[in-house]
Amino acid sequence: MKKQIQGRWALRPFSFLLAFLVVSVITAGFWWLREDLTLANISLIYIIGTFVVAVWLGTGPSLAAAFYTFFCFNFFLIKPYYTLKVEDPRELIDLLVYLLVAVIASQLAAYAREQAEAARRHAAEQNILYSLSSAFNQLTDQASISQTLEQQLPVYLPVSQVEMLPEAEKNAYTGRPDDEPTTSYLILQTGDTIYGTLRVVFTAVPTDSQMRLLMACTVQAAMALQRIQLTESAQRSHTLEEADRLKTALLRAVSHDLRTPLTIIKTSADNLIDLHTRLPEAEQLEMIQTISSEADHLNLLVGNLLDMSRLQAGAMTINRHWNTLEEVAGDVAARVWQRHQAERLWLNFPDDYPLAQFDYGLVLQAVSNVVENALRYEPPTSLVEIRGESDAAEVRLLMINHGPTIPDELKEQVMAPFFHGKDGRIGLGLAISKGIVDLHHGRMWVEDTPNGGATFVLALPREGSTPPLREGVS
Amino acid sequence: MLILVVDDEPQIRKLLQTGLSGYGYQVITAANGQEALTAVAQRQPNAVILDISLGSEPDGLDVCRRLREWSQVPIVMLSVRSGETSKVAALDAGADDYLTKPFGMEELRARIQAVLRRASMEPASSPTAVIHSGDLMIDLANRRVTVNQQEVHFTPFEYDILRLLATHPGQIMTHQTILAQVWGSDYQDMTHYIRIYVNQIRKKLGENPAANLRYILTEPGIGYRFVERHPKP
Repeated sequence: MKKQIQGRWALRPFSFLLAFLVVSVITAGFWWLREDLTLANISLIYIIGTFVVAVWLGTGPSLAAAFYTFFCFNFFLIKPYYTLKVEDPRELIDLLVYLLVAVIASQLAAYAREQAEAARRHAAEQNILYSLSSAFNQLTDQASISQTLEQQLPVYLPVSQVEMLPEAEKNAYTGRPDDEPTTSYLILQTGDTIYGTLRVVFTAVPTDSQMRLLMACTVQAAMALQRIQLTESAQRSHTLEEADRLKTALLRAVSHDLRTPLTIIKTSADNLIDLHTRLPEAEQLEMIQTISSEADHLNLLVGNLLDMSRLQAGAMTINRHWNTLEEVAGDVAARVWQRHQAERLWLNFPDDYPLAQFDYGLVLQAVSNVVENALRYEPPTSLVEIRGESDAAEVRLLMINHGPTIPDELKEQVMAPFFHGKDGRIGLGLAISKGIVDLHHGRMWVEDTPNGGATFVLALPREGSTPPLREGVS
Repeated sequence: MLILVVDDEPQIRKLLQTGLSGYGYQVITAANGQEALTAVAQRQPNAVILDISLGSEPDGLDVCRRLREWSQVPIVMLSVRSGETSKVAALDAGADDYLTKPFGMEELRARIQAVLRRASMEPASSPTAVIHSGDLMIDLANRRVTVNQQEVHFTPFEYDILRLLATHPGQIMTHQTILAQVWGSDYQDMTHYIRIYVNQIRKKLGENPAANLRYILTEPGIGYRFVERHPKP
């Protein structure tokens, strides 16, 4: 405190000049009227003057004013004039009482003034902390908190550099190192949890009140960091809950849907072992074919379960390249022909169908699942149409089926994992397709086919412009 | 014909041995990479079926790379379904083809036959002047292409891609190979070129995949394969 006052005196010689000026003006007035006024008049007016100086200019100037007044009073206004002698001892008492009252008055006034100033400073600090904490409230990650500190602290405090150091440096420094008096290290901490260290470089050695403000800001920042961490861990636990729910569904599915083909395979194989000599050749062949097709089904199921869990765990990596959904559709059509040995699809693409960036293998799987699903419900007399459409924002693939219409309340559900279809087998295919499309920030939905049936639409965003094509001599 | 089967699973080795023997091949087996290298050196098989993950060092890719240092034996690699990277790695390591587990024996036999035929043709690799595949005819000498006896016009890039694929029937041409052969080595990142041109080529050839009319097959994320023997109409 003392240091601060000294600092202010040194800084403000002007206030001393003002104090001397005030006393000199009053003295000049008295000097002109000195024959008409009593000493009591004079000393009371002087006290008012000293008081004004104290409230206006503070302790130092008011003390100086008191002593200067004492001198002027004696020198100019008390007989014999222009000496420091006092003729009448009663006048000496007047003079000394004036000095005592002036000193006390100046102290009290200055104290009141400092209290007011402290209150003002405190209010300003509160204001700063309030705006800082409201700024922090909107932030959701550590980087933006650090950025806000870097931007805001130089506004409130004379600092040249603000930096948030990672937690690892927490034991390296605390407080102010001796060799760098303008640098402060403050630990960002709530309770036992440490979020990092704040390194602040002041332009000059900071005052106690500046340090106090800085520490308060640090506490605000630490509380904001704590809030962010709590929010994150709440989100994580929500994800875990969701994963747990899916795991339960998965286990149920595995126990039922995997066992069915396994049972068929096992029974067929055992029959062949036990009865093969007694069974007609045609029946033997039928059992062998059953084993093979159930194994294919099992393979598909295991693959789907694996993909589903990868999608749910966010473990699917995508390799996005420029590709065209037309090629994907062609590939799917070729596979469908392989499987059904018949033409079951109709491809319908415009000539200027654009490219989009996606993972060919994954999108092939997504489209393949949807098409297989559409084929399952397609009447044998018609073809599933795969149509390409596009606008400025996305490329779309419409897979148009002419079978039963999906009721509105089921349109979302058919794409949810483990939706049970009519055949009683778990549906993972559409959920995987949806998951893959989501990974590409695309959309997938179901519409009604105009004359009955379900149209699945798969839309991928057209991010970035199509790369330039350098055609050679053509 | 002697085939070496390399797999760490005894059951798979046994099944492949039985299956391939049924097709008339002679089969020897190896349970790990070291055995495989020794077997190739001593027995000189006509083809190798190599599992990509052998569960011990050296793994399938290492074996493939080491074999390629001194042997041109055709290699078909086996991998579990796990995406394109392992397949690309297999081809980069020098494998001739790959198959994803589980696969049908018929499919494996077809792949083995294809690599064996290519290997036997290798010394006399002078390209035939005319390539036929179904309704498609490519006259390499005159750079003419006809579909159903109708001449089809191709731009130089389109023709170069078609020729590259058609002169390597049944063989995977990776995106990188196509880019390097047709455009040059500066174009390694330009896979979208291939997408656009192959799409154009397919349209001009009149492909209809829904009706099994295909000349070029897509290997997702890896490259393309010219249909080896398109059935004559």
